[in-house]
Amino acid sequence: MMKNVVIAGYARSPFTPAFKGALAAVRPDELAAQVIKALVQKTGVDPNDIEDLIMGCAFPEGEQGLNLARLVVHLAQLPVSIAGVTVNRFCGSSMQAIHIAAGAIQMNAGEVFICAGVESMSRIPMGGFNYLPHPGLYQNYPQAYISMGETAENLARKYQISRADQESFALLSQQKTYAAQQQGLLTDEIIPIAGNAVDGCLRPGSTAAAMSELKPAFLEHGSVTAATSSPLTDGAAAVLVCSEAYADAHGLPKLARIKAVAVSACLPEIMGIGPVAAAQKALKRAGLTLTDIDIVELNEAFAVQVLAVLRDLPIALEKLNLDGGAIALGHPLGATGARITGKAASLLKRENRRFALATQCIGGGQGIATILEAVS
Amino acid sequence: MNIEKVAVIGAGVMGSGIAAHIANAGISVDLLDIVPKDGGRRNAMAEAAIAKMLKMEPSPFMHPKNARMITPGNIEDDLARLAQADWVIEAVIENPAVKQALYHQLAAVCRADTLISSNTSTLPLSVLTRAFPDSFKHHFMITHFFNPPRYMRLLELVIPAGLNQDLLDTVSNFADVKLGKGCVVCNDSPGFIANRIGTFWLQTALLEAISGNLSVEQCDAAMSLFGIPKTGVFGLLDLIGLDLLPHIMQSFKQNLSANDRLSLICAVPPLLQSMINQGLTGRKGQGGFYRLQADDGNKTKQAIDLQTGEYRLSEKCQITGVSHKAYGLRVFLDGCGALNRYAWRALSETLTYSAGLIPEIAADINAVDTAMRLGFNWRYGPFELLDRLGVDWFVDKLTGENRPIPGFLSSRQSLYRTQNAELQFKDITNHYQPVPRQEGVLLLSDVKRRGPPLLTNTSASLWDIGDGIVCLEFHSKMNTLDPDILDLIRQSITLIKQDYQSLVIYNEAENFSAGANLTLLVPAILQQDWTTVEGIIRHGQQSYLALKYAPFPVVGAPSGLALGGGCEILLHCDAIAAHAELYAGLVEAGVGLAPGWGGCKELLRRWLAFPKRPGGPMPPIARTFETIALARVSKSAQEARELLFLSKDDGITMNKDRVLADAKARALALAKNYQAPEPAVYVLPGKSAWAALDMAVHNLQSAGKASAYDVEISRQLAFVLSGGDTDITRPLNEQDLLDLERQAFLHLVRQPGTLARLEHMLKTGKPLRN
Repeated sequence: MMKNVVIAGYARSPFTPAFKGALAAVRPDELAAQVIKALVQKTGVDPNDIEDLIMGCAFPEGEQGLNLARLVVHLAQLPVSIAGVTVNRFCGSSMQAIHIAAGAIQMNAGEVFICAGVESMSRIPMGGFNYLPHPGLYQNYPQAYISMGETAENLARKYQISRADQESFALLSQQKTYAAQQQGLLTDEIIPIAGNAVDGCLRPGSTAAAMSELKPAFLEHGSVTAATSSPLTDGAAAVLVCSEAYADAHGLPKLARIKAVAVSACLPEIMGIGPVAAAQKALKRAGLTLTDIDIVELNEAFAVQVLAVLRDLPIALEKLNLDGGAIALGHPLGATGARITGKAASLLKRENRRFALATQCIGGGQGIATILEAVS
Repeated sequence: MNIEKVAVIGAGVMGSGIAAHIANAGISVDLLDIVPKDGGRRNAMAEAAIAKMLKMEPSPFMHPKNARMITPGNIEDDLARLAQADWVIEAVIENPAVKQALYHQLAAVCRADTLISSNTSTLPLSVLTRAFPDSFKHHFMITHFFNPPRYMRLLELVIPAGLNQDLLDTVSNFADVKLGKGCVVCNDSPGFIANRIGTFWLQTALLEAISGNLSVEQCDAAMSLFGIPKTGVFGLLDLIGLDLLPHIMQSFKQNLSANDRLSLICAVPPLLQSMINQGLTGRKGQGGFYRLQADDGNKTKQAIDLQTGEYRLSEKCQITGVSHKAYGLRVFLDGCGALNRYAWRALSETLTYSAGLIPEIAADINAVDTAMRLGFNWRYGPFELLDRLGVDWFVDKLTGENRPIPGFLSSRQSLYRTQNAELQFKDITNHYQPVPRQEGVLLLSDVKRRGPPLLTNTSASLWDIGDGIVCLEFHSKMNTLDPDILDLIRQSITLIKQDYQSLVIYNEAENFSAGANLTLLVPAILQQDWTTVEGIIRHGQQSYLALKYAPFPVVGAPSGLALGGGCEILLHCDAIAAHAELYAGLVEAGVGLAPGWGGCKELLRRWLAFPKRPGGPMPPIARTFETIALARVSKSAQEARELLFLSKDDGITMNKDRVLADAKARALALAKNYQAPEPAVYVLPGKSAWAALDMAVHNLQSAGKASAYDVEISRQLAFVLSGGDTDITRPLNEQDLLDLERQAFLHLVRQPGTLARLEHMLKTGKPLRN
C-alpha cells in the first residue's frame, strides 16, 4: 500500500515590498535559513531525520545562486547530513518542491523533507541579471518570453473582464488580508526576521476611487494597473513534509494529507489560466469534483487572472483565499507555492473542513495544483 | 581653520537653498527654523523645506542624496548644536528686531571663532549690529546670496571694520572654492551693489516701457542686444515675483536719501498694483507679464498689454539687422524709433546711475561689474558695457541731450585697458589698477591677452596656457562640432607631440558644446549624399580615436551643456576636470540618431570596466542602453559621475573660474610617465543581448512609454551595444564597435523618421517624438 504524505508544519517570513520594505536589505539565503530554522524548532522534528531540503526559487542566481538549498542547510545550522536541491518552476517552484517530496516519500526515497521557497525581488531582478533569450526562439515564437503584464491584458481581452471588476476583486483581496491581519490570523505563521513580523505590502487605505485613478501599468490603453497586480515582494516560506507514519511515530502535527497533485501547460500568452487545467487534472486524480472542495488557495498573480480562472473553475467566493491573497499580501515568486499549500493545510485544520485545493499560474504558460485532505 | 560644519537659521526659500548648496559642497549643515505654533513635529519647518526642495525643478540639490547632509532642527531645542558650527548663516525674516533677538542667542552659544553672518538683502550692517559689543562685531558680517543659491554665482560681502581677518579669509575662501561663488566686497549701503543697480534698471525699464507705449516682448528683445539674459526686464520681474516689488521699493525709499535717483522713481505703477491685486504675481502666481495658457492641451504664451492690462497672444520679437559689435549697438541706440529711444533711455539712465555710485556702493568698478555679471547674469557689467559702447561716444550723447555727466566719466578715459597683457580697471583717482585674480584662478580670457593662438580657424583655437600645457578652445556657434574643429584636433596633436606636454579641452562659453553641427548633416541627408554623411562619421571617429591614443594626456574641462558629440569627446579624454554645473548626455536619439563618434563604444567600455556593476554580460549593456536610448542628460557633474560620463578619479570644481587651473594641474600630473591607454576588448553576447533589449523596448512601447520611432532607434542602438552578430566567444575590438556605430548611423539617416526629427530640432530647438 502506498504511504500517506502529510504536511506537518508551515512557517513563513513576513512578506514585504521589494526595495522599500523591511526585508530589502536581507539576503534571500539568510531569509530562507531563518524561516527553515524556525520551522524545525516549531515542529520539533529531529533534524537528523530530514532527508533533503528542496527549495524553490524563480531566479536562482546571484545571492540565490549556486545550489541555494544546500547552502541554506548550513546557514540554518542544520546537520551536514541533509542534502539540498534547488527547484525552478518559476512561481510554482516551492509547490513543485512539495510534489517532489511527496513523490519521494511514496517511493520510499525518504521520510522527512523540508520544502521551502524564497525570492528577494529587491536583490535579484525578475529576469535575472543577465537576461539572454534565444534570439531565434524570440523571433519565431516571441510569446515564449512574453511579459506577465501582457498575459494579464490578454486574459482581460479574451474573457472580457472589465477594469472595474478587477478593481473590485483587488479591493476585496485588500480587505480580506487586512481583516485577517487585524484579527491576528496571520500571526502564527510568521517568523519574525530582524525584528520584523508584519506583512508590509498591504494597502489598507485602498479605495475603489483611488484605484480607478491609476494609469495602466503594462498597456497604454490597457486595464491592468499596479493595484490589480501582485506587488514585487521579498519573502520566504517553508513546510515540513513527511510520511504519515513518521508523523505518528514522532508525534508531529498532521495539518493535512496530500491527496493529489498535477502540473499542466497552456499557451504562454494566457499563462494566467494555468490553474484551470492543473486543478481539473488534480481533482480527477483525487476522484473529486470542484464542489467537494471546501477551501481554495488560488494565487492572485493578477486580479484579472483570478477572475478568468473563476469563469472556467467556478469556485464560490466564500471558499476562496479566506485570509486574503497575493494582491494584498505580496508574491515572492519562489516562496508562494509553499505559502499557499501551507496555508491551505492550516485552514483545513482551523476551519475544520475536509478538502482543500492550492493552485497557481506559472509564467511561460503552466499551472500547478495540490489537493489536500484533512486528517481526521 | 577649516569650515567643516555650517548652520543655517531660517528655512525659507533663501535659507533652505543656501543649506542645500552647502550640502552640494559635501559639507554637513544644520537647518533650523522656529517650532510651529500649531504643535506637531518640532522640526516641521525645516523638514518641509527639505522635502519641498527635493521636488523642485531645477533642483537646489546637485544630487538627491545631498539632502542627507542637511540635519533639520529648530531654534528652541537645537541652538546648542551651533557650538559645533564653523559658520552660522542667519536667513530669517527681514526684521531688525527679530534678527537682533536671534543674534543675542547666537552670541551665547557660538564660539568666538565661528563666523556669524546675515543673508539680509536690505538691512545695513550698522543697523543689525547696533548695540552689540565689539566682541560680537569681530565675528559678524553680511554674506548676501542670490536666488537660487545653487545657480547664482554672486556672494556679496559686507565686512565691518575690526572683523577677524582669519575668519574672513576662511569663509571667503570657502565660499569661493567650495561653494563656487564669486565674492564681491560691498560697502554698507542699501541693497548693496547688485540689487541697488538691478532695481533701478528694472524700475526704469518698466516705467519707460509703459510711457513709451511699447510691448513687453519688444523691450525684452531690445535688452538682450546688450548682453542681458533673454528673460529681459519683464521675464525677470515674473521670476522675482511682482508682489515683492512694493516691498523692495518701500525698503529702498526708507533707506536711501530722498534725492537718490532710485528714491525718486520708487513708486509702484498702477498697472503693477492692479496685477498684484489680481493675483498676477508672476511665475509662482497665476501669471505675470507673461503667462502660459493651456487651451485644448496646447500651451500658448501670452503677454500683458502694458496699456490695457489685458493678456494677448505673445508675439515673438526679433530685432534684426543689429550687429552685436559696438558700432552696431551705437547705431541702434542712436536710432529714432520708439524702441531705439526706449533702449537708450533705460540703459543710459542705468549706466549713469551706476557711474554715480562709485565709491558709495563699492570701492571700484570691477566690483560692480562682477556683481552684475554674477548676480543678474549680465554678459557685461555696466562699466564693461559703457566701455564697449565707448565712453567718449556715451558722454557726447549725454552732452547732446543736455544731461549731466557723471563725474567718474568726465575724464572720458576708457574704463578698462590691457597693459602688458594684463587687464586693468580705472580707479576713482583715474589711475589704472590690475583686475585682481584669486590664487588658483586661470582664465582663458587672460591667456588670450598675452598673444595670438598657436593654431586657429573659424571654429576652434589652440592656446599655450603655460608649463607645457595647451588649451583647445571651441568658438563655433553654440560650440557645435564641425570639420574645422576636427581638423584643429588633428593639427593640435601633431604640434603637441613636438613641443608640448598635455592638452586641456576647455572654453569659457556658457556651454562646453551643444554637439555636432546638424546644419552640416541635414543638407547631405536631403541630397541623399551618403558618402558625405559617412565621411562626417569617419572624420569624427578617427579624430576622437587619435585624441584618445595620442602620446600625451588629454583632459576635458567642461561646464554647462556637453551634448552628443560634445559628450563623446569627453568620453575619449584621459581625465575630466568638470565644472559642478555639467549637463552631459548622449542625446542623439532625440534627433533620430545613435552616437556615431565613439560614444556607444566608450560608454559601454566604462560600464564593462566599472568595478561596482553586477556581473555577467548584460548589466553593462543594459545600463549603457538606458542612458543613450533615453537620452539622459546629467543635471550636475555629480550626476554625470553616476552615469559614468565622469569616472571616480575625475575632479569636480565648484567655481567655474577655477576649472581651467584645476584641469591644467590634472594635465601636468598625468604628463609624468604618461602612457596612452591599452586598446579595449569587448566581450559581447551578440543577438541574445539584442533580443533581451528588444523585448524591453517592446514592453515600453506597449505601456505607451516609447513611440514607434523610438523603437526603431532603440533597435539600432541595441544592435551596436550587443556587438552585432558576434558571439560571447568572439571578442570585438574598438574598430568593430566603431564600424557598428557607423552602420547604425547610416541606417538611421536614411529613414524619414530621422529626417523629421532633425528638421524639427533645427526649426524649434526641441526634440520630436514621432
